[in-house]
Amino acid sequence: MTFPSAVRRAGLIVAIAALAVTAGCAKKDEGEVQAGGVKLVEKGKLTVCTHLPYAPFQSKDAGGAVVGFDVDVMDLVAKELGVEQKIIDTPFEGIKSGQDLNTGKCDAAAAGMTITEERQKVMDFSDPYFDATQALLVKTGKAYRSLDDLRGKKVGVQAATTGRDYARKYEAEKGLQLVEFEDLAAEQQALANGQIEAAINDLPVWTEYIKEHPGGFEVTAEFDTGEQYGFSVKKDGNPELIKKINEVLAKAKQDGSYDKIYEKWIGKLPNS
Amino acid sequence: MKLRRRQRERLSLWLQYLAFVVIVGAVIVAADWGRLREAFFRVDIIQSMFPTVITVALRNTVLYTLGAFAFGLVFGTLLALMRLSRVAPYRWVATAYIELFRGLPALLVLFLVGYGIPIAFPEREIPGGVFGSIAIGLGLTAAAYMAETIRAGIQAVPKGQMEAARTLGMSHFTAMRTIIIPQAFRVVIPPLTNELILLTKDSSLAYVLGVTAQTIEVTKFGRDTLNDRVNATPLLVAGFTYLIITLPLSQVVRRLELRYAKAR
Repeated sequence: MTFPSAVRRAGLIVAIAALAVTAGCAKKDEGEVQAGGVKLVEKGKLTVCTHLPYAPFQSKDAGGAVVGFDVDVMDLVAKELGVEQKIIDTPFEGIKSGQDLNTGKCDAAAAGMTITEERQKVMDFSDPYFDATQALLVKTGKAYRSLDDLRGKKVGVQAATTGRDYARKYEAEKGLQLVEFEDLAAEQQALANGQIEAAINDLPVWTEYIKEHPGGFEVTAEFDTGEQYGFSVKKDGNPELIKKINEVLAKAKQDGSYDKIYEKWIGKLPNS
Repeated sequence: MKLRRRQRERLSLWLQYLAFVVIVGAVIVAADWGRLREAFFRVDIIQSMFPTVITVALRNTVLYTLGAFAFGLVFGTLLALMRLSRVAPYRWVATAYIELFRGLPALLVLFLVGYGIPIAFPEREIPGGVFGSIAIGLGLTAAAYMAETIRAGIQAVPKGQMEAARTLGMSHFTAMRTIIIPQAFRVVIPPLTNELILLTKDSSLAYVLGVTAQTIEVTKFGRDTLNDRVNATPLLVAGFTYLIITLPLSQVVRRLELRYAKAR
């Protein structure tokens, strides 16, 4: 049986199209890779999403390696699983909205992220691993002691952070002019340049920044928001990993490795 | 089985229609519409975005775009004239500038303007705040592209025009200003309008400068609302908001191109 060429060509188009559609619809292999009873998106790797820089929790060292408090704690988890940690730097929105986890970009998020009710709706959190407060950073010598002193002034916040949400709550009441920056580095740069009068972010982040720029900046106010950081995984997607992270956290707090990491990155030991 | 030529062609045509329908149908059937609607089409979120998305966000997007376009047009025309100048250093500078800025991502240029200038001149401020920084930051890149377009437009004006003008006693400058450039612009209006469309979308880069509730533009507004509501619907709204500007503009380009083609 021979087909005329035009028909053959058209048939070929249909065949290719059908192939393309089936290929496009092929289901992703999810949870195929296992390590220590835990599903992982990539074999031999604990893939962790974060948003850089956020020293002392995660930032790049002189050699370009990502280091920090979160990195060290997640390394404990990776070690427990017998795999290596692989860190992906993504916009904080992707982490906070849960999409990075939903789409299988990473197994867990470790980004100095506060556990909030809204975030809990879109991802599963581990037990809290860090108590954080918000703080106001100003250039040394400026007389801004509270939000009240900043009426009509430009105050920097970082997009998609709890510090930004906190400032938003008082924006109207205190007459603040909030300027949102995409990342911490831009917020710091703007404060250094005088584009903003003060900046709000997590206290440990400012402590680290002051350490690196002695004499230039000071924290003049702390806002105790009762925030706690947590690691997160895909909503209802990986209970084994959350269990493992919690086990590792509990163990680390007992055997002193948590305290060691805390001293290394934050300084003074936690009160508890 | 022997088909005649007409029949063969018709069969081929039908098979192509069929392939199209099969592909589109398969994609529609395969998509998870329930989840898509939940993630991208929450009516309550859409309602909550109005009217701010228009009165503040779209307004700023338009302002930033026009600012950058105006800056780019003036500076780009200057660069084009420099490139065609008889003074060699002008040509060198213009060529170097165009090559450099066509090769740099607009995001980097914007960042350098927004954070570099305040460091270089700590006592001064770019006039207009965020607006000024964007107009300059995006305008610098746009100028490089527009310069090449305008140069091509000027060169498209027949040589005889300049020669005739000079014969009538006009100076080179007057001939350029009153005879050549007006004709050149008629040629370059469609490509310049395309540049305007590109700038509309580039204005979304404003976020690197840090924006306030008053200076927010469409993309940042969409991303912010996404953060607040933990839902992707705002991105869809932002996308449609851009189409309000860009679709009519591309219609304008098409009309102008048609008219120009007829006039020739």
